[in-house]
Amino acid sequence: MKAHLEQGTPKHWRSLGERTLTPETKAAGWNEFAPGSAEPVAPPMDVLSRRRFLGLVGATAALAATAACSKVDRGFIVPYTKRPAEVVPGVANYYASTFQEGRRAYSVLVKTREGRPIHITGNDEHPAYKGKTSPRAMADIMRLYDPDRLRGPKIDRKPASWSEGDRLVVDALRAAKATGKAVLLLTGAVPSPTRRTLIAEMKSALPGLEHLAWEPAAGDAELSAARAAFGGPAVVKAKIGQARVILSLGADFLGGDDPEAVGAFAAWRRPRGSGQPMNRLWALEGPMTLTGAKADRRVPVKPSEIAPLAFALARALNDRGVPLPGGVPAPALPPGDFHGTPLSAEEWGALLNDLGNAVGKALVVCGASMPPEAHAAAHLLNAMVGGPLAQARPAEPLASLKDLDVVVRRMATGAYETVIFWGVNPAYAFPAPGRLAAALERVPHRVWMGVLEDETSALCEVVLPEHHWLEAWGDYDDGQGIVSLQQPAVGPLYDTKQGEEVILGWLKGLGAVPSAGYHAYVQARWSKEVYPQGSPVSFERFFEVALHDGFVRAESSVPAALAFNGAAVEAARRTPAPGSAQGFDLVLAPGYAVYDGRYANIGWLQELPDPVTKNTWGNPLSVSVADAEALGLADGDVVKIEAGKAAMEVPVLVQPGQAQGVLVLALGYGRSTGSVATGIGVNAFQLMDAESSSPNLRTGVHLTKTGGRRDLPVTQAHHRMEGRDIVRSYTLAEYAREAVKGRSEEDLVTLYDPLKFPEHKWGMVIDQSACIGCSGCVIACQSENNIAVVGAEQVVRGREMQWIRIDRYYEGDPRRPRTVHQPMLCQQCDDAPCENVCPVNATNHSPDGLNQMVYNRCVGTRYCGNNCPYKVRRFNFFEYTAFKKDPEALAYNPEVTVRPRGVMEKCTFCIQRIEDARMRALGENRPVRDGEIVTACQAACPSDAIVFGDLKDPQSRVSLLSKSDRGYKVLAELGVRPAITYLANLTNPAGEDKDA
Amino acid sequence: MHPLDRAFRLILPVGAAAVLVTVLAVGWFTQPDRLVKGYEPDQPISFSHKLHAGTMKVPCLYCHVGASKSRIAGVPSVETCMNCHRVTKTGSPAIIQLTRIYDSGRPLLWKRIHNLPDYVYFDHRPHVHAGIACQTCHGEVQTMDVVYQHMSMRMGNCLGCHRDPRAALPGRSPVKRGPENCYACHR
Repeated sequence: MKAHLEQGTPKHWRSLGERTLTPETKAAGWNEFAPGSAEPVAPPMDVLSRRRFLGLVGATAALAATAACSKVDRGFIVPYTKRPAEVVPGVANYYASTFQEGRRAYSVLVKTREGRPIHITGNDEHPAYKGKTSPRAMADIMRLYDPDRLRGPKIDRKPASWSEGDRLVVDALRAAKATGKAVLLLTGAVPSPTRRTLIAEMKSALPGLEHLAWEPAAGDAELSAARAAFGGPAVVKAKIGQARVILSLGADFLGGDDPEAVGAFAAWRRPRGSGQPMNRLWALEGPMTLTGAKADRRVPVKPSEIAPLAFALARALNDRGVPLPGGVPAPALPPGDFHGTPLSAEEWGALLNDLGNAVGKALVVCGASMPPEAHAAAHLLNAMVGGPLAQARPAEPLASLKDLDVVVRRMATGAYETVIFWGVNPAYAFPAPGRLAAALERVPHRVWMGVLEDETSALCEVVLPEHHWLEAWGDYDDGQGIVSLQQPAVGPLYDTKQGEEVILGWLKGLGAVPSAGYHAYVQARWSKEVYPQGSPVSFERFFEVALHDGFVRAESSVPAALAFNGAAVEAARRTPAPGSAQGFDLVLAPGYAVYDGRYANIGWLQELPDPVTKNTWGNPLSVSVADAEALGLADGDVVKIEAGKAAMEVPVLVQPGQAQGVLVLALGYGRSTGSVATGIGVNAFQLMDAESSSPNLRTGVHLTKTGGRRDLPVTQAHHRMEGRDIVRSYTLAEYAREAVKGRSEEDLVTLYDPLKFPEHKWGMVIDQSACIGCSGCVIACQSENNIAVVGAEQVVRGREMQWIRIDRYYEGDPRRPRTVHQPMLCQQCDDAPCENVCPVNATNHSPDGLNQMVYNRCVGTRYCGNNCPYKVRRFNFFEYTAFKKDPEALAYNPEVTVRPRGVMEKCTFCIQRIEDARMRALGENRPVRDGEIVTACQAACPSDAIVFGDLKDPQSRVSLLSKSDRGYKVLAELGVRPAITYLANLTNPAGEDKDA
Repeated sequence: MHPLDRAFRLILPVGAAAVLVTVLAVGWFTQPDRLVKGYEPDQPISFSHKLHAGTMKVPCLYCHVGASKSRIAGVPSVETCMNCHRVTKTGSPAIIQLTRIYDSGRPLLWKRIHNLPDYVYFDHRPHVHAGIACQTCHGEVQTMDVVYQHMSMRMGNCLGCHRDPRAALPGRSPVKRGPENCYACHR
């Protein structure tokens, strides 16, 4: 062989290289074994061979033995040099602040440890929100610690200094002022009175300034209909708590982002006895919403059919003697008849009865994505039956997509000298991003200000990083007599500035009176406009108290209610109904978790199962059961949707309860910036019609199956109870007839001695009648207990880590099912099946009734998870925390262990809160008070469905509630004796009044 | 000699002895008590507990304020030192060094002596409230010029006292035993 190789072309050859004898093959002939061939199999990630591993083990052992000869260094303890008076290391501080989303401002408490915010909860002193807040507000803490945050200004994508950026902007603004050319300031809603003052001041310093406040997901039809019905921009404040009958026309007021509405609604849903009244919720809606899921009667109706139906309802009510408001002649309305509507004669009669019998105590709520005619009809119905329950008050004007479209067209003609984008992302949310980008090229100066770089900042020359709200000052007016304050809870993490402060700097450059910063600016306005003149309390003290409380009451600032203008009905009635006969109605609703896309980079929210579809990480297209059957679609099939000129491919999800002919797609996905958000789902904004008055609703949409398939990361694919009464649900009449026979676990015989609980026995009661399924508890738990985010691929394998989940069960016909939500978490069983099978005793029982999970003992056999009948144990299949980037770890709760790979974990009933309360009580020589320990899920629950406490104390709230005649234990027949009592769901459907 | 015979008479006993010696040696070297007890690192400022807590009788809680309010006893802020040392012993080199740190606002990096694993959530509060002297776990700190670790602080130390706390508790204390369940310390 050797001779052959050296002499010339071989006779027999194995490869062309060998035949022509390239230098490589020649060398290879000498090396019998190619490099790496001694390795048994190619290691997956070029790691270690067996030999090298053994060699390293030996070396490590030798090194360890050497190191073991000296003491181990434990690093440093670094005390404060000057400790702030209120900070004690190890003790949390709470600061009142305000979180804003669109027109809504949530008064919140920010929990900080050693100066860093770690948890957000509602402000318990706030009269409307009562300590509750939205899941998105709680999760927004992760935006503060987002590794993608801008860390300094950029000019033409290169890092720059603030002075350079400011100089560029001021020069551009000066030039615009000199030439008289227009400057566009595009912001989101501005519910902050001080920010409004600032923008007004900017306008007077720069007469060419046009300010547009635009909320992409606000629902333009609602705005235009309110303007028509009340003669100006207005907001209808629905007093849910005072209504006995509520009719929802595609509205999702129980969508979890209005804790006030949820709390007021839920207060009516838990009668202590059969004699107490419940409210009644009717839902006529196309999509399946949380509100519809909670409704006593729900009828699937296509959104394009809602307006005629509601007008007919008004006419029928008028025929029954309910007077029409002035200016609306009865003949303007269609005949009050149910024929041609999706309602049956029985439903029509019952609905008419309910509304007609509750004049002055009924309320009609219309959804943001409904067409303007439906809103007009809802305003008319409210004027007839709602009265003071639905008062419209003047509100800040918001720009519609149509307005923005006009501006973009003007921009394309070169009308603007400068555009300033402040906290908005039109390059993502404008339906024609290409047209916007082309128009922006005609603008000489493009300035962007925000927290996270986005699609719009990529088109701007000056990119200025703004403070996160937890680092900034601000104030908000809710229009109902409460002004709340926002204060920084942490110093700025990066070289960022408060947006308002930047504008103050520009104003100074334009020759306005310089201000001492935005904090002073807020105080100056407050001393003039909020502080009651002539008060015996000094302003400094007044402001200090306001900062402590987070808000002040300013009832005198509430504008007068607006009167309903009947002429609006005429106009709405004349609008021809959209051609709904052909094609589908497509509802583009804000994403439950990511809203309009601003939270798309928050992993907690991406992984939060949508409360209705239970889908995570993306936005599949919801189709109705009937349409799925007709088109042969199953979950995960990819379809092509065409709406006008726009088209896109998206997987479908078959949604029980959705009206036939309706498609639903969530907004806020399909982002192209952000390391978490990029490529998750599709951008539904591109299906909006910029020229329509209701861009959120497309009619005449077409659907074709492409044949592709995608795995949907759905956390609950199984919705049946398989003949077991996991959830119990009764109508009010059944409840009154004492059909409730729960409490079967008392009869179970056991061979074991009952456990003894010397001091406490912690327990929980969950009221399914109050629970609306909003999943606020899931996010609160994730934040409190350092729960990992695992990603779509892991969710598909069923490896999500959330300790509390909301199981959703359907009952009856899948086209019109009834829905019950059941929060499911560790039941802390007395005879816990998980404890018996743990080979290392890592899970066992505590003397206060808790099923303890000890991470440092766990070896990861997963027997416990297999043996858990409730499937609430979560296993760390990977080192999920390894994916954390700086500074995300700052959001961790230092009182809870971060679990490593190979360890089982589960709900602990917030043991860190229990222990803290116990220790405080011990120090004060008193027993733990009832209500002193509040678990994270309980604190977050807007409907107050979760109650935690000591079952040993017969007078505690949890003891009293657990004895309710609605109480039962889930899977009681197993005899595991769970510590959580569920209260059966109650519904109050119409047509039972006679029997009750 | 038969090869097996040789193996039984020589290689096996010597091999067994070698394994035994290795196991014992590694075990002895790595035993936690030996590794952690008596750890006495040099501190950036030669602070003497013997002088402050012993001779001057400054109470422990004057500086370690957290012990009665928080899970963490904590190391006093530099400002706490300056409460006295603005006027006391201002000429000593250590105090000059301390003053310089205080004025600059730079952090003072003390070497950590007592360190529990991350999954242990020891709470100082109930122990202080029960009247257990700091010395029970931390040793006679008032006699130490340089503080060292007195107790290895293994779970056995905790449980030993929780099962029979009489020696540590003041007389006539109502406390009979400490909790022994996992969640008392681990979460």
